[in-house]
Amino acid sequence: MKRVLPVWVRPRAVLVAGIGAAVLALLPFFHSNRYWHNQITETMLAVVAALAWNWLGGYLGQVSFGHAAMFGLGGFVAARFQASLGLPMIPAWIVAGIVAGLYALVWGHPTLRLRGPYFSIATIGVGEATRLICTYWVWLTGGSSGMSLPVQIQLKYQLYWYALALALLALAASYALRRSPLGLSLLAIKSDVDAAGDVGVSSVRLQDLVLFISGMTMGICGGFYASYYSFIEPGDMFGFSRSISFVLMGVIGGIGTIAGPAVGALIYVLLRNALLASYPQLYLGLYGLLLILVILFEPLGLTGLFLRVFHRKRPDLGVTGVAAEDSAAPATGVTPAPAEQRGAK
Amino acid sequence: MTAILRAEGLSKRFGGLKANDNVTLALEERQILGLIGPNGAGKTTCFSMLAGSIPPSAGRVFLGEQEITGLPAFRVARAGVVRTHQIVRPFANLTLMENCTVAAAQCSGRDDAGSRELAREMLQFVGLEKRRNEYPGGLTLAGRKKLEMARALSCSPKALLLDEVIAGVNPVEARDMVTLIRRIRDEKGISILMIEHVMAAVMSLCEHVVVLDAGKLIAAGAPKEIVQNPAVVEAYLGKKHA
Repeated sequence: MKRVLPVWVRPRAVLVAGIGAAVLALLPFFHSNRYWHNQITETMLAVVAALAWNWLGGYLGQVSFGHAAMFGLGGFVAARFQASLGLPMIPAWIVAGIVAGLYALVWGHPTLRLRGPYFSIATIGVGEATRLICTYWVWLTGGSSGMSLPVQIQLKYQLYWYALALALLALAASYALRRSPLGLSLLAIKSDVDAAGDVGVSSVRLQDLVLFISGMTMGICGGFYASYYSFIEPGDMFGFSRSISFVLMGVIGGIGTIAGPAVGALIYVLLRNALLASYPQLYLGLYGLLLILVILFEPLGLTGLFLRVFHRKRPDLGVTGVAAEDSAAPATGVTPAPAEQRGAK
Repeated sequence: MTAILRAEGLSKRFGGLKANDNVTLALEERQILGLIGPNGAGKTTCFSMLAGSIPPSAGRVFLGEQEITGLPAFRVARAGVVRTHQIVRPFANLTLMENCTVAAAQCSGRDDAGSRELAREMLQFVGLEKRRNEYPGGLTLAGRKKLEMARALSCSPKALLLDEVIAGVNPVEARDMVTLIRRIRDEKGISILMIEHVMAAVMSLCEHVVVLDAGKLIAAGAPKEIVQNPAVVEAYLGKKHA
């Protein structure tokens, strides 16, 4: 029998994703609650961003605190191309993605040779520098008062399905980047960059590739965000708290796992909206607390918790990307228990 | 016989220290060549230069007719020279199978399915196939050394550089390892250059031995001659024993 899918794809994963996608795609026809419709759209966008962050932060173990730079740049490039050059929405997103991906390469190619905490510190600088430059770059961003796109109520409703499509693509990419031999090479680089080189892994090229894909996806998310909200301003788009939000989603859901960050994004968005409504001053503090608790007690986040509960029955869930004696531990504070990974023998 | 791997006048300086000084050696086809010498003689440095982990300060390295001097490690590995590490360096976050699949996918030029097949074959070859879905953290030292070898073999190398794969394992495992190394040469036809301190293994495996001391090549020949060579005895035991 000829294979349609690569050997590393499990039919069950395709089935689960297919059912999930079908349910979400048909859901809006069964309810007319605009609040939940928007919530789900926002969540799916967060899912895409969280997964894109995880390709770099989780798979390669290079934790970025500056991913808002690509998000913001993508948003403003997409908005500017639509507003000033009259480019349609989708091509504008693509341009935004390419620009953001290239921008990521510009700062990332030199900084990715730093490892662990040093890389993370560099990304903080990159994020803040980008925010300042773009705040004063009035032609592109409209300065600190931001810029607007024409509001289209119908489009905002339809963007739900665009977000769903993007989320599915991002999930598929996450799966491929973890399971394919190429993806395994990324994990090998994370574990030991020199030993990876000794078995033929070109770390520089692969790191650049992942950085480009991650930055490009971030840029597309930014473009989507601009179309969705019709108004964007640099302080929000490039804000440090936005960069942190990507880290939080990844860590809460399970850094380095395939679908963990997607769950993390769901929790993050729901929690944020609940907390923002009732305790606007508290919510960042609560996230800090949550972050500390996760890193202390369950370094693999919700995925780790899930594995701990169901591990005995189902030893391989295809998400155990981060294992014992992880060399990236200093970067993330993640030191999972070895016993969790090897399971019942 | 033609040389698979050839080093000509290889030197490495670390500041004022000459770790390797004008080392010339040739690994013939289907040969097991021993590289011995006292601690600090520069054996691992020599390996690192051959495998592209560090660039030489002077000298040239050839793989067959092709010059591979100064190429980055991943290119050298893809060209066909693969090393193992004295202190084992498995990818702890990957299963044994995945460890080997990475190597196969990057070096062997096979597709995804082919790479997995090759990885599995190599795990079977070293005797780790049953544990292929476990993580390296659960293996003994000997197991991890075998994993290093399986991973290196998954690259389909022409020349395999083994850095002290026998030292540190118990006598039973050591005998196992000797058999395994011989099988790599006999069954896979791969030429082997090995650094080893366990002389019994060197005596039984190697047809030819080269000796390094303080970065310089001081002797070369059959193992039996080497152990009686005064310069070698002096390097190991000091002048009065020579």
